[in-house]
Amino acid sequence: MELKRIFKALRVAWAIGEKDIRIYYARPGSLVFGILFPFSMFLSYIVGRNVTVAQAIPILVAQTLFFASSSIGPITIPLERRLRTFERFLSAPISLITVLVGKTLAGFIYGIAISVIPILVGVLVFNSVIVDIFALVIGLLLSAFCFAAMGLMFASIPGQHPGTVMMPMNFVRIPMLFISGVFIPISELPYWGQILSVFSPLTHTIELVKGGLGGENIFGGVLNIGILLGYLGLFLFLGIRFHIANQKKE
Amino acid sequence: MSVAIKAENLTKRYGDLVAVDHINFEVQKGEIFGFLGPNGAGKSTTTRMLIGISIPTEGTAQVMGFDIRRQSVRAKELMGIVTDVSNVYTQLTAWQNLIFTGKLYDIPKSERESRAKELLQLFGLFERRNDNVEGFSKGMRRRLCIAMALMNKSSILFLDEPTVGLDVQSSLIIRNLVKKLNSEGLTVFVTTHNMEEANQMCDRVAIINNGKIEAIDTPEMLKSAIKKLQVIEVSFVGSNGDLTSELKKIQEVTDVTKNGDKYRLNTENVPQALSNVWGFSKKKGLTINTLNTLSPTLEDVFVELTGIQPEIRPPKTQRGQD
Ligand SMILES: Nc1ncnc2c1ncn2[C@@H]1O[C@H](COP(=O)(O)OP(=O)(O)OP(=O)(O)O)[C@@H](O)[C@H]1O
Ligand SMILES: [Mg+2]
Repeated sequence: MELKRIFKALRVAWAIGEKDIRIYYARPGSLVFGILFPFSMFLSYIVGRNVTVAQAIPILVAQTLFFASSSIGPITIPLERRLRTFERFLSAPISLITVLVGKTLAGFIYGIAISVIPILVGVLVFNSVIVDIFALVIGLLLSAFCFAAMGLMFASIPGQHPGTVMMPMNFVRIPMLFISGVFIPISELPYWGQILSVFSPLTHTIELVKGGLGGENIFGGVLNIGILLGYLGLFLFLGIRFHIANQKKE
Repeated sequence: MSVAIKAENLTKRYGDLVAVDHINFEVQKGEIFGFLGPNGAGKSTTTRMLIGISIPTEGTAQVMGFDIRRQSVRAKELMGIVTDVSNVYTQLTAWQNLIFTGKLYDIPKSERESRAKELLQLFGLFERRNDNVEGFSKGMRRRLCIAMALMNKSSILFLDEPTVGLDVQSSLIIRNLVKKLNSEGLTVFVTTHNMEEANQMCDRVAIINNGKIEAIDTPEMLKSAIKKLQVIEVSFVGSNGDLTSELKKIQEVTDVTKNGDKYRLNTENVPQALSNVWGFSKKKGLTINTLNTLSPTLEDVFVELTGIQPEIRPPKTQRGQD
């Protein structure tokens, strides 16, 4: 009986995620924040620098994954509030958690789909070699979930425009790029920066992807996975709490 | 068990504002129950609490026997819901909207597809099923919304202002559909600020104002409750001189005014007064040409109970058309 209920919830969550994919993936907001933004930031970073392709690909993969996965919640939820379609979820015989899981799934798939592109380019064009498929796959899957949940948590900020959520979220996302080994390698950060970098989930995404593509890994896979799992749990927990608190105000 | 909705002290506060103030009412299964009130009266807030979008500050309700706070999923399974705006997915087609709704209610594939087809045909949208809803007119979106509400074969339908902003024909189509569904056993809870709509559609009406229910009864009983407004209008064949003073002598007639060739008789007891007027004409050898009872409209009742008439009252020429 319990199992039946869980399967039902998963079916409905999947339907919600699939609908989001259909509706929002090609929207300007998703394209700008999910693709254009990380790619152009990446380009402005490598231009005129001595960065090898081997160094650059993992950073690009992690960065696109980071932006793409975390953008779907902040785009879909405010728009659904504005069109009042979010109310359909509240009045359907499902729990709010099912809805949030569905939306997380959408961000997850979006992030994976987009970050696979630079991997393919790396492998097919620049002869990157996947040395640790487990690290790469786990890194992608876990990070996509983690950042999708982060986006969802931010999407609890009340508002009917993606901007109201994107702005505050970028105050967190962009500084994270500096302490996670995107712009500055972690080994070159000052000591306090290195300490901070342990607490940034993005650090561990880059580490796992790097490891997968044959680069060096400073913190080790176990810590990487542990921290990503921890953040995934935290973001989901807080996200659900915040969204439930929102409903009380309806 | 024949109670479809039972609200007990249902209350919603927004800060200091009491949007819905300890209301109690019952809706019977099979009824079309109207919630009539001016803008800001608390109609939508009440509906939103009943359908689980908003959580009551105080009190509760049972819908189809399930408590909306403790058994909300069970209750929601039996509800069809049309909120005050047509919240359809504009980037999806009509067909996709219905199918997604079906999935949200976890209806098996073959069943949701046959149901969607059936509803598109019923609501006259079948030809347009593969068009994006973006290009749909207000009336089409409203119909699609109602179709979506019926996907899960609900036993109770909530309609928040189903015809507001629609033209006469679209409104008529919707009202007739709702009546048809009701005759097949669907219980309907409908809010409106349109008196004529409430009058034509509803078995019983609750009049709500400032978050409080002022009266609940059938439209006819509500009207006859304000008896002093009841009028009989009569005219006779041929010119018989001024009959005002003689008509005034009729039992149960409280006042008479002459209006062209017609007389308006005020009464508190229409049936008795009618029969007396009949007797009067017989006795005097007069032939009745026309005889009408002008009962108060629901609008009169509304004004009487709420004491407000401006903005919410549509101009006379448009009555029943918006
Ligand atoms: N989310 C909210 N926050 C604060 N106040 C609200 C909220 N929703 C409704 N109200 C207030 O509650 C009162 C009742 O509103 P409600 O929408 O229920 O009225 P209504 O009868 O549906 O009116 P209308 O005919 O305009 O739809 C209004 O004063 C409204 O301003
Ligand atoms: Mg309303």
